[in-house]
Amino acid sequence: MNDTVDDPVDGRLAFATTEATDISVLPKRLVRRPHILQIVAGDVAPRTIPLTQDSMSVGRSNEADIRIMTADLSRMHMRIDRTRRGFKCFDMDSRNGVFVNEVRVHSAVLRDGDLIQLGNVALMYHEGS
Amino acid sequence: MSFLVRFWGVRGSIPTPGLQTHRYGGNTSCVELEVDGVRFICDAGSGIRELGIDLMEEGPKPLTAHLFFSHMHWDHIQGFPFFTPVYVPNNHFTIWGPRTGDRRFARLLGGQMRSSYFPVDFHDLGGTISADDLGDGERVIDGVRVRVFHQHHPGVSFAYRFEKNGVSVVYATDSEIDLDLDDPELPLRDPGALRGVPQDLVAFCRGANLLIADGQYTDEEYPKVVGWGHARATTIVDLAVLAEVEQLAVFHHDPMHTDEEISDLIGHCQQRAASHGSDVTVFGAREGFELRLDRPPGRRQTQY
Ligand SMILES: [Zn+2]
Ligand SMILES: [Zn+2]
Repeated sequence: MNDTVDDPVDGRLAFATTEATDISVLPKRLVRRPHILQIVAGDVAPRTIPLTQDSMSVGRSNEADIRIMTADLSRMHMRIDRTRRGFKCFDMDSRNGVFVNEVRVHSAVLRDGDLIQLGNVALMYHEGS
Repeated sequence: MSFLVRFWGVRGSIPTPGLQTHRYGGNTSCVELEVDGVRFICDAGSGIRELGIDLMEEGPKPLTAHLFFSHMHWDHIQGFPFFTPVYVPNNHFTIWGPRTGDRRFARLLGGQMRSSYFPVDFHDLGGTISADDLGDGERVIDGVRVRVFHQHHPGVSFAYRFEKNGVSVVYATDSEIDLDLDDPELPLRDPGALRGVPQDLVAFCRGANLLIADGQYTDEEYPKVVGWGHARATTIVDLAVLAEVEQLAVFHHDPMHTDEEISDLIGHCQQRAASHGSDVTVFGAREGFELRLDRPPGRRQTQY
């Protein structure tokens, strides 16, 4: 055997073989990105809200899962559900409506970067993984 | 009253799954209307499969629905054999033909289910399927007035207008209205100028709360695809402006267009509507969008 000949296969394998990382010790956010609603405009403080439940309500009421205190919002304004097609928002018969990218919707399956407007409040939806 | 419109498939020509079409969706034509509980389904592209899944889970039992077809090109019928509710006994579907005695749609729909193409024959479906027609081009079906309009498309296609208590939607896909412009050279000479479209089409769409129209091509693409049966998106903006519709959903997205390209095209269409002094809401039809037309579409109140 001529041991001076490079073995390209071995070389590649050596390059690819790094020490395996035990992902169970990593913080969860590095493994899965959560789905997030982010308040980006309106007369309320900017806030980032992870969508941790399968169904969450948004409104002024203190019974709302996501409470946003501004007169433009109905007490129960919008619901946001996890569905097989992705997170979906529903207008809960609100006074001022739910707009997704400036279209008034009764419901809409959300996609990354969608802008949801509830009165003067704007929320950006960030699709997780 | 309640007048709901749901988009299940918005893509033209062929389903286009994948990351590039995630936002608008890759399923071919299917739009559902639910007017005071009466269900109308426009076209049976691959999007109808998704509708079927929802109806099986939460729809009324037994289910009745009226099926309308723009035409029989494959992207408008290919989902039908995968529409599970037609396999369920006691469900009932009516397939509507555009003219007196016209039963072609029901016949052709069954054709794609012959054994060489599909394992289940049309006649062996569990649900009952009947055929009816719009007579002289207009019928009141369960309280909803339906009218038909002949469109320019290879082998002809039909637009439908659905109306109840002054609320109306026009479904007008696969139509090359660019072939019927008053001045066919105008878009090349002066792309920004308002184009004259046929008066009878403007009248058909007049004042609709929602116009869902084929806007497959950009101005740059169109000269290469003249005669293929689809419109420039910019031309349907002009139709929407002339007919003073409230909202325009640009529909039948080109299978080659990515989400980003569609968004750019829609942005361009919105600017065009504004440049004509119109306040029509223009958006790209998107899978998973549901509109309620018996409520004012309103405007967002705050500029950011
Ligand atoms: Zn088509
Ligand atoms: Zn066609």
